[in-house]
Amino acid sequence: MANPIKPDRSVVTTCAYCGVGCNFKAETHQGRIVRMTPWKDGKANHGHSCIKGRFAFDYYNHADRIRKPMIRDSISEVWHEVTWEQAFDFAAQRFRRIQSRYGRQAIGGVSSSRCTNEEIFLTQKLVRAVFGNNNIDNCARICHSPTQFGLSATVGWGAASQHFDSILQADVIMVVGANPTEGHPVFGSLLKRRVRQGAKLIVLDPRQTETVRSPHVRADVHLALRPGTNVAVLDSIAHVVVREKLYNEAFVRERCEWEEFEHWAELVGSDRYAPEAIGPVAGLDPADIRRAARLYASGPNSAIYYGLGVTEHSQGSTGVMCLGNLSLACGMLGREGVGVNPLRGQGNVQGGSCLGSWPHVFSGYRFVTDDEVRGSFEAEWGVALDAEPGLRLPNMFDAALTGHFRGMFIMGEDPVQSDPNQGHTIAAMSEMECVVVQDLFLNETARYAHVFLPGSSSLEKDGTFTGAERRVNRVRKVVEPLAGLQDWEIVVGLMNAMGYKCHYDHAGQILDEIARLSPAYRGLSFELLDRVGSAQWPCDEHAPEGTEVLHRERFPRANGRGTFMLTEYVPTRERVTDQHPLLLTTGRILSQYNVGTQTRRTANSRWHSEDILEISAEDAAARGIKDGDMAWLSSRFGATQLRARISQRVNPGTVYTTFHHAETRVNVVTSDLSDWATNCPEYKVTAVEVALVKPAGFDEYGRSLDRHAGLAAPDLSTATTASHPGRQEVHA
Amino acid sequence: MWSELRDLTDAIDVGTPPRSGESISLSVDGQTVRVPRGSSVMLAAAKAGRNIPKLCATDTLEPFGSCRLCLVEIEGARGYPASCTTLVAEGMSVRTESEALTRIRKGVLELYLSDFPAGDVADGWSEFHQALQQVGITSHPYAPLTSHQAVAVDESNPYFLFDPAKCIVCSRCVRACEEIQGTFALTIDGRGFGSKVAAGQDQPFFESDCVSCGACVQTCPTQALVEKSLFPEGYHRG
Amino acid sequence: MNMLRDALPAGPGEDPVLAIDRLLSMANQIGDFFAPYPSQRRAEGIRNHLRTYWDPRMREALLAYIDAGAGGLSPHVVEGARLLRSSEPRKGYYGPPKA
Repeated sequence: MANPIKPDRSVVTTCAYCGVGCNFKAETHQGRIVRMTPWKDGKANHGHSCIKGRFAFDYYNHADRIRKPMIRDSISEVWHEVTWEQAFDFAAQRFRRIQSRYGRQAIGGVSSSRCTNEEIFLTQKLVRAVFGNNNIDNCARICHSPTQFGLSATVGWGAASQHFDSILQADVIMVVGANPTEGHPVFGSLLKRRVRQGAKLIVLDPRQTETVRSPHVRADVHLALRPGTNVAVLDSIAHVVVREKLYNEAFVRERCEWEEFEHWAELVGSDRYAPEAIGPVAGLDPADIRRAARLYASGPNSAIYYGLGVTEHSQGSTGVMCLGNLSLACGMLGREGVGVNPLRGQGNVQGGSCLGSWPHVFSGYRFVTDDEVRGSFEAEWGVALDAEPGLRLPNMFDAALTGHFRGMFIMGEDPVQSDPNQGHTIAAMSEMECVVVQDLFLNETARYAHVFLPGSSSLEKDGTFTGAERRVNRVRKVVEPLAGLQDWEIVVGLMNAMGYKCHYDHAGQILDEIARLSPAYRGLSFELLDRVGSAQWPCDEHAPEGTEVLHRERFPRANGRGTFMLTEYVPTRERVTDQHPLLLTTGRILSQYNVGTQTRRTANSRWHSEDILEISAEDAAARGIKDGDMAWLSSRFGATQLRARISQRVNPGTVYTTFHHAETRVNVVTSDLSDWATNCPEYKVTAVEVALVKPAGFDEYGRSLDRHAGLAAPDLSTATTASHPGRQEVHA
Repeated sequence: MWSELRDLTDAIDVGTPPRSGESISLSVDGQTVRVPRGSSVMLAAAKAGRNIPKLCATDTLEPFGSCRLCLVEIEGARGYPASCTTLVAEGMSVRTESEALTRIRKGVLELYLSDFPAGDVADGWSEFHQALQQVGITSHPYAPLTSHQAVAVDESNPYFLFDPAKCIVCSRCVRACEEIQGTFALTIDGRGFGSKVAAGQDQPFFESDCVSCGACVQTCPTQALVEKSLFPEGYHRG
Repeated sequence: MNMLRDALPAGPGEDPVLAIDRLLSMANQIGDFFAPYPSQRRAEGIRNHLRTYWDPRMREALLAYIDAGAGGLSPHVVEGARLLRSSEPRKGYYGPPKA
């Protein structure tokens, strides 16, 4: 053909990948999706896109897609294909049997940030109304749960205070523990645009990422702090703000709790947080800390953007509180161009948070222990509900090992690949009696499943996603679900099979139910979204088309004022030792998305076909490692082999890798430490060693023998990723 | 900066980025229209419903003025200014159609056509093809001595290809990579007729700094940069 | 509909729902955060956190451990956790003041 084929139909929908929530026109030709074109009216992306949303949509049609439900009696057997009804009944019976034998609390569920708001809501309804407990969690547990905790404590709501466009009014941009150029590319481009226009840039990141330095963009201050020292450095910045009287007193007096400010100022103002004291601890020049503080406080508009480099630490929630404290002290909230903005990673992880996919809250961050709130749900759902908080995801695995937790419904998640301390996760999964996985492909977790329910991609269903800027966007069905049911229909099927009658004609009715039960979503409906495109919550009578900027008049706390939390630096228990003298930190790359289930099945793997270990020249030389060598990365938890690359982006003492490829098993190495408040794993700090020779004391799977003695080895015989060329383990 | 993004809509491409500011009144083909100060004549014309043919201008990018198609007549001004790079002024009077303008536009398009794959002119649906239809051109009178019709197609990127034979060096891709994406992977190499779009250090796209965001593909008016998925049987230059 | 819930027994065996060293580690971390606060706020903060965020079986296991000697547990945490007992008959909401 000389000329390209012309698409005959186009459906505006939202990208399945990151939390920016780009709108695309899915264009089809004779029923097949041929391209995704960015939609200029998209309020998050304004017609721009990145390699993932724009081009990596082929996975939905990949040969690995499972199209029929499957069951098996035990994980050592092969899968049998069955009908939907048979699969639902099998799962229902097993779940009820577990409950009758081990108690109502012995099963639980995890919802997916890749699924729609409607589906997440139904999953938590499944657990609450049908399982009868609050053992429901969300993958935000392992990424941004500290955001919810820390920001709720200081400013009232755990969500971004601004919309993305607000950055165009910022004079100073402070990026902490995030790399928007790779993780939120369309937003990263907007950030760079603003910096090219003259805004100043401060970056806190152990690595010299693209965000720090790229064509025509250079950070004015780059604090390459040692992994694990976030709170120390942020308190030190606060120290300068307090001691040099750079805070906005009028704002604090008018909009915050002055007494709490004074307590906080006393804490951070003390000598132990002076830049001269903290500099050596964090590996920074005290002058740089002072520069960062003065730059941020002077504004006039300073905006903070942060990511998992803040949250995935044992002081994750504390770190988020530091950011809340700092922005309140300097008066950087309540208008355009400022704010505290968590860069939520996944397409709908903000939605998962808002809709109460947590063991301790219902939708709208309202506690399960609150009788009045619980009553409203009981009235709508027609059952009595559990009044006590349930188990968090990491604690579900802990409880599986003690025999108290035996069954799990996992939707669109792969905890075996994405959760830390993989040896522990596998041991826990192996103990369970009924694991139901709802996903597009057989993933690592499905190795331990008894029921596999083939899900639908975001191109095959209707619903909504809530992006990182609180924007609720429509997801529209472009093609029919390959396995026959949209994800939300599958959850409804399971609920009915377990004895809870419920029915929805279409997904819009689920959003209506959400709107009835959640104050911030009260005004939302498919009709509204069809009319205005998208809307940022809160969307109610006061803001019928949504709210762009939060906290303009009051903070959503009891007295309407922001407050300051005391953020003492508590060093992580993870320490470098002679045996493990380096610190590993992890991150993401542009072309692959999260655990790579989707992007590894597209041509994106040509850019990133394996996870790479970035190591400084100094550390590599000391170990005899040359660029491109296969090296063993080991911690006291596990060991794995990956390709080393000499990089100038990491300082000596720090190494870095990604976790996109299942074969790499990076999480066999990460620790069991986590955030004090939320159990968000401390992925960003693990003491490791890198060597050419395989270290002793690890089994064939890479798990440390003394930690996992006596545990069954995982079954690696069946590949879960057909398209991967297959790595060969290299023996030195 | 504020309106540049927020006022964009898929329904219409007004040619240059929307601005915000004090309202100015002018007349386009006898019709009065009000637009913010700093807007281009092209945008004012679009607002008045007068669609000026364009190729290198698009409302997601700052105006450039290379294609020479969007020329207009302005009362009191000499020659034929490009409407994309000319800012509105209070009381300005613009004419978007005339015999002279039609003649010039036809001339410009005939020249572009003389260095375009002859077999891909009919049945095309790119912006370039739409401009041809708008101005009423289907062929050209030239027998060019040199052309770019023998240059190889760059298919290094798995998702899109670049066919220099269709490129009119409007620079939209270069500008998109700079202004929208911020990667600065593309430049124009060479001069005059020898100018060409180059990725990185004149490397195949895949080996350059290109991050495959698709902004250049999205903006290319001739589909010289185009998705491979639109060619189920492979790409064969016409 | 209520019958679904009432028909199911409430819980199994005597051993703790999580390995005890895990519970201790988590509890001590909470204590570390509240350390800079004045003593009453500190104790109440710890109590509120455990009450709002911990599964009841985890709380019971911690209290049982405290009764058995509390070795390795910071004194703040012991004090805060003990407050759970004194307010236990009062069910309901222990979260931050409602907005």
